[in-house]
Amino acid sequence: MSNYFNTLPLREKLNQLGVCDFMDSAEFLDGVNVLKGKKLVIVGCGAQGLNQGLNLRDSGLNVSYALRKEAIEGKRDSWKNATDNGFTVGTYEELIPSADLVINLTPDKQHTAVVNAVMPLMKQGATLLYSHGFNIVEEGMQIRKDITVIMVAPKCPGSEVRAEYVRGFGVPTLIAVHPENDPEGKGLLQAKAYCVGTGGHRAGVLKSSFVAEVKSDLMGEQTILCGLLQTGSILSFDKMIEKGIDAGYASKLVQYGVEVITEALKQGGITAMMDRLSNVAKIKAFEVSEELKDIMRPLFQKHQDDIMSGEFSRIMMEDWANGDKNLLAWRAETGETAFEKTPAGDVKIGEQEYFDNYTLMVAFVRAGVELAFETMVQAGIKPESAYYESLHETPLIANTIARKKLFEMNRVISDTAEYGCYLFDQACKPLLADFMKKVDTDLVGKNFNEGKDGAVDNRALIEVNEAIRGHQVEQIGAVLRKAMTAMKAIKTA
Amino acid sequence: MSEPVVHITNLNLWYRQKAVLQDLNWTINPSENWLVYGASGSGKTTLAKAIAGLVRANGSITLNFKPEAAQPPVVHYVANWYQFKDLEGQSNFYYQQRYNKQAVEVTATVRAELESYGKKHGLNFGIAERIMSDLGFAALIDSTLIQLSSGEHKKLQLVKALWLNPQLLILDQPYNGLDTRSRENLNTLLDELAEQGMQLILIANDLEIPACIDRLAEIREGKLVEISASDRMTDFFTEETVPPVPAFLREHPAAAASELVVKMIGINVSYGEKQVLRNVDWEVRSGEKWLLQGHNGSGKSTLLSLICGDHPQAYSNNFYLFGNKRGSGESIWEIKARIGLISPELHWYFDPSATVWQSIASGFYDSSGLFCEPGSTKHAQADELVSYFGLEEYKNVLMTELPLGKQRLALLARTIIKNPELLILDEPCQGLDLHQTRYFNMLVDELCKNGTTLIYVGHFDALVPSCIEKRILLENGAVKSIETMTEAVETADNFENFEILTKP
Repeated sequence: MSNYFNTLPLREKLNQLGVCDFMDSAEFLDGVNVLKGKKLVIVGCGAQGLNQGLNLRDSGLNVSYALRKEAIEGKRDSWKNATDNGFTVGTYEELIPSADLVINLTPDKQHTAVVNAVMPLMKQGATLLYSHGFNIVEEGMQIRKDITVIMVAPKCPGSEVRAEYVRGFGVPTLIAVHPENDPEGKGLLQAKAYCVGTGGHRAGVLKSSFVAEVKSDLMGEQTILCGLLQTGSILSFDKMIEKGIDAGYASKLVQYGVEVITEALKQGGITAMMDRLSNVAKIKAFEVSEELKDIMRPLFQKHQDDIMSGEFSRIMMEDWANGDKNLLAWRAETGETAFEKTPAGDVKIGEQEYFDNYTLMVAFVRAGVELAFETMVQAGIKPESAYYESLHETPLIANTIARKKLFEMNRVISDTAEYGCYLFDQACKPLLADFMKKVDTDLVGKNFNEGKDGAVDNRALIEVNEAIRGHQVEQIGAVLRKAMTAMKAIKTA
Repeated sequence: MSEPVVHITNLNLWYRQKAVLQDLNWTINPSENWLVYGASGSGKTTLAKAIAGLVRANGSITLNFKPEAAQPPVVHYVANWYQFKDLEGQSNFYYQQRYNKQAVEVTATVRAELESYGKKHGLNFGIAERIMSDLGFAALIDSTLIQLSSGEHKKLQLVKALWLNPQLLILDQPYNGLDTRSRENLNTLLDELAEQGMQLILIANDLEIPACIDRLAEIREGKLVEISASDRMTDFFTEETVPPVPAFLREHPAAAASELVVKMIGINVSYGEKQVLRNVDWEVRSGEKWLLQGHNGSGKSTLLSLICGDHPQAYSNNFYLFGNKRGSGESIWEIKARIGLISPELHWYFDPSATVWQSIASGFYDSSGLFCEPGSTKHAQADELVSYFGLEEYKNVLMTELPLGKQRLALLARTIIKNPELLILDEPCQGLDLHQTRYFNMLVDELCKNGTTLIYVGHFDALVPSCIEKRILLENGAVKSIETMTEAVETADNFENFEILTKP
């Protein structure tokens, strides 16, 4: 198997990277009809597998679960999830041969083994569905030519996919058809029907390609989403301890701060997030984030280049072959950081205080979102995709940090994202060492406005506001957020 | 004469540019126990919270505790709304989650919750066990919080409060969701604690109250007015009339496709070892009006969740809805389109970011919150219901900013807005005052004249619509009896204290 993207001529590379349409709701008027009466078999029953299956069944579709024999015999969690909810469960041999649609919801790392086991059992003309394109694009998995290959990727954790469906809504979803495997031309119709079955059509659907999904997804998760949030959190905590801020307070500020700050981002983009600061703090955060962008730009570009060339997946797969040596070592290292080991203190921090006392994180988030977005767009990814993989997902990841710090974030995200996150973090911390020496508690730990009279120069403020509001991520974001009709506020305690 | 326990002078409190409490004065002397009632939105909860120090008001509130008393010198307020958190400290749950099963449990057990509460307040666990058994809650000690029904959550709240045994206890609508037996036992427990020196402020619109209550007051126009027991009874039995229901609700609901709306054959539902429904057979014919009863935890809400398309185990059971076998290719949205549902759980998990108008209009789509523009006809119908329920001034206000009773009215409007063929009203009047309750039940009678099928859950037998003709009674997940209302009254002694209250 060789990297699929690298086998393409440049023309076709650009072509596939550039697929990205926000679909009109009229495209979904046929509902689930295309899949009605068909046999849907889901492989894997973790959080995504179970919750997507519950939604599909509640939409009137025939759903069952194929699990490995050991999982069934050992009555593992996946078996329990499926049987307790009244689904038919069987082995690959029992269920795959009669399946019209086989849905692969196993972790990335298992894809090659799963697809190799499943493919020979699949009937002529069936469809194989992925929720991530890594196996096809990076590993170059070749699928039998009579089989249709599609992708439907809800852009939210599995529990959210279920929660939004039962309240009559859905989560934003990305769909794609693999151009090498659409022999009957039915791929898009099936992907749309599946999307209706999970409720995604109500929340906004982006038509993408396997290539665009993989290259943008990897970039987003390694840099702004996980990598930078990890680096920023650890550096902020360490700085506060160094400067004598109470450890419990520092731990709480970092754990919950990023969620509160990015809630504003979710509702109104970088503009809304920056507007939560006072004028003086906003100008400072702007200057700091410009500096951060200059320092980190080469690192963001290196990540994007390695993703495009296939270098990233090559070294990660080497680590897979090596029994996850690096991944496990980095995971252990993250577990040992002072931030991770200091429990959040029993102190009350008001919503506004998270902005005023954690201005540094606002600067980190602006720098990271804009850099990731710019770098992706420069590499040929459409602004809509770049928006989803940077700004849109940041609050979702921030929510996992609020739950149980970096441990929880790295547990919830895929192994691929976790590996990329550590890779970024390892390189980014030394890169920011000099910058962090200049940072004091006015930026992190104490109220930035303290002791300042709040006066700003009109022109300076106008320039900063224009630079923030005029950025392309803000313009595309305003359009997409409007199209996604309703945004649900993450309910926090 | 010793000092008053609570002394309130000139208390003023504004909410949304409206005066809620105006120069309110109140003195509670030692050993007095008060009942406070009033219309929804009159300021009962606000006053209670002000005494407990949970909201700030202008004026003076002085509390005097007895230093030598056995009870801790605190005021404890039990809210009319309950909220629990998962093991990560969040309360981000969704309606229906308690029916889905995943291998990982995310909420604590009742035992763990109580142990940590007892430790925090230095309480003896043996006492909690006694209170739990009195309230019929003991069997649930190893359940997780998310598995509890609304009545069971209410009991957990009460167990904590009675266990703490504070010098001053304020209970805000404690009877909501409690079955008859639990209500009686609660009153007995309150009487005992009052005897030992605890003082009680009870906020309730109910008639059956503990014997220890010796003073009654109503909140009217922001002031506290003391009422005699006989005046309260007269007030309670004032005649009600309902104005004619909006024309669009007087039409016959969409023709029933089948004579049998619900047909259940040997329904079984269990969670691991715990069986919640046992071999339930039940047929509901088109146009019938049913009362569904049973003690807390008897399986009522699970049974209803099967009908409403909310329970995953519907697919492993044998039953028919509107003439179609469940799980034969229908979507839950097709089922929900024919049902108007309200339940404590639906209220509890409802989208807090929706306005009153949006919440009412969302009934057209069975969604929690409104996700599309309903068009001019539906728009006008929603407006009509807003005024019919007297909610004009709250139309664009967020649901969470309303008093509980008003929220409930908005959700009742949501329930009936599409004039559904099947109405499922699971304790619809929780949180309403007596007038509102009777008003709503008369409205249900009006609506049901046109062939609507009704399933009504209510513990208070006196307060159900008069159109009800049949009753199904559940006990421990099994059907105990199915009978007509006339038979039910005749054989009343086989179930709790079944009685129809007559006018004095």
